[in-house]
Amino acid sequence: MATSDSPLDTLGDLMRAAQQGDGAAYARLLRTITPRIRQVVRRQRGFAGAAEVEDLVQDVLLSVHSVRSTYDPSRPFEPWLTAIVRNRLVDGARRYGRIARREVQVDELDVTFSGLEAKDESARLGDAAAVREAVQALPEQQREAIELLKLRELSLKEAAQVSGRSIGALKVATHRAMATLRITLAKRRE
Amino acid sequence: MNTDDLVQKLAHELEAAAPLRRPAARAGTWFAGATLYVAALAIGMGFVNGYSDGFDVAFWAVQAAAFVTSLLASAAAFASVVPGLPSRLRALAVAAAALWLATLAATPTAEADWSAVASAAHEWWCVGFIVAGGAPLLAVLTRMLRRGAPLNPATTAAFAALSVAALANVGACISLPHANNAITLVWHGGVIIAATMGAAAFGRLLFFWRLAPKPRKA
Repeated sequence: MATSDSPLDTLGDLMRAAQQGDGAAYARLLRTITPRIRQVVRRQRGFAGAAEVEDLVQDVLLSVHSVRSTYDPSRPFEPWLTAIVRNRLVDGARRYGRIARREVQVDELDVTFSGLEAKDESARLGDAAAVREAVQALPEQQREAIELLKLRELSLKEAAQVSGRSIGALKVATHRAMATLRITLAKRRE
Repeated sequence: MNTDDLVQKLAHELEAAAPLRRPAARAGTWFAGATLYVAALAIGMGFVNGYSDGFDVAFWAVQAAAFVTSLLASAAAFASVVPGLPSRLRALAVAAAALWLATLAATPTAEADWSAVASAAHEWWCVGFIVAGGAPLLAVLTRMLRRGAPLNPATTAAFAALSVAALANVGACISLPHANNAITLVWHGGVIIAATMGAAAFGRLLFFWRLAPKPRKA
């Protein structure tokens, strides 16, 4: 909540200032609402891990940011925010359901394969830090495609909506990114 | 990815974003332009029905109901993209649509020749008028609605399509004489219901969240 010695006493005031381009007020607003959003997400998604909770919180913050012009300063802020949080949580649940439907649960294999060719790609490519570095080194569009499709696990359609790029462009960028990552990580291993 | 980093980035890159006008005002702007457009189309096509035999109260009552439905449906569409607004406008738009169809059904459908309804081939002209004439209106409306929050894409798209189709239907009705309301009810009503349901089904393709990419890890 805004401090009492500030002229911006309410969340609505902070958002009004943000709509006029006041970055400091906007930072205060977002920092104030973030713990509240996190609390709601945790309550609604009791089963979610910390990373998933933060992902949902960030989705809500990005959504608030993208539709900040829909806030009417003459109306209370809370119902506006609540509607967005509720909507994004429902979307998140749908996405979670889609991913869960695509996943196939298998028992853990009690066999370890020693041959490199028998390991899956993630095992062959090395540790997570190396992969992260290699992803960061990718060109902007390829990196975005990998982040959306492989890390955030969005569908092609969702990724196209988020990035504003066509599905074809995303497929090409992902293909190129994977090829670059293979080469980069293979070199690192040598 | 750190949420604090995201907050910092969003605040740092913040640009002014003037609040959108109220849904009723935005709907009024669109509706005024859309009415002028449909009136121009109707005048261009002849504007004969309802005038040939003097002032037909029943005919104009139905048109007025369609007109009000269109206005309320556009307001409902604009309200549906503003988070936190009550759903009063949606209920009003649905009530107006029901009233309009009831008005249409209540007028001289009793003595209508229902066998003529299916064979009213000239109604394909009206279908074309509603679909082709309404397409530019829907495009403009969609563009305006996309400035809002895509909270309920199906609802937003359905009300947008209902608004456009109801208004274009008025243009079709006053451009071409109709033998009876049964024909209008079946053909025009059918197109409007199909357009509304189709829009609802494809709403997610029209209205979706366009979020800024999250910042990269440091």
